Amino acid sequence: VNSVTISIEGMTCISCVQTIEQQIGKVNGVYHIKVSLEEKSATIIFDPKLQTPKTLQEAIDDMGFDALLHN
Amino acid sequence: MPKHEFSVDMTCQGCADAVSRVLNKLGGVEFNIDLPNKKVCIESEHSSDTLLATLNKTGKAVSYIGPK
Ligand SMILES: [Cu+2]
Ligand SMILES: [Cu+2]
Repeated sequence: VNSVTISIEGMTCISCVQTIEQQIGKVNGVYHIKVSLEEKSATIIFDPKLQTPKTLQEAIDDMGFDALLHN
Repeated sequence: MPKHEFSVDMTCQGCADAVSRVLNKLGGVEFNIDLPNKKVCIESEHSSDTLLATLNKTGKAVSYIGPK
């Protein structure tokens, strides 16, 4: 089990937060996601055999939010 | 180009921006987002199914209203 924090631009309210949590929470291999509007980020706990930080970043980006990975 | 109208459950500017990003990513579309009425009007050669699938990526409730 791995964990990653991804920066997200473009969220303006709690409904944006919930949409991302619901949508990414459904992704195969994602155990838990917590999105913070204040910190503009998502912390995701996932199965490294099924997802990578890059695939998760792309999944958020595909939803229409600017997602950035930090090293 | 054919015009299609969709109902998208957008609640804030963040939703509207997300809708425009996914549509711009698809490409080949011209669109108008009506946030207060939760409607998106798209002019495109893409099929309504393709447009619907694209809008669905936002995770919002989306439905096809019809051609315009
Ligand atoms: Cu919002
Ligand atoms: Cu919103």
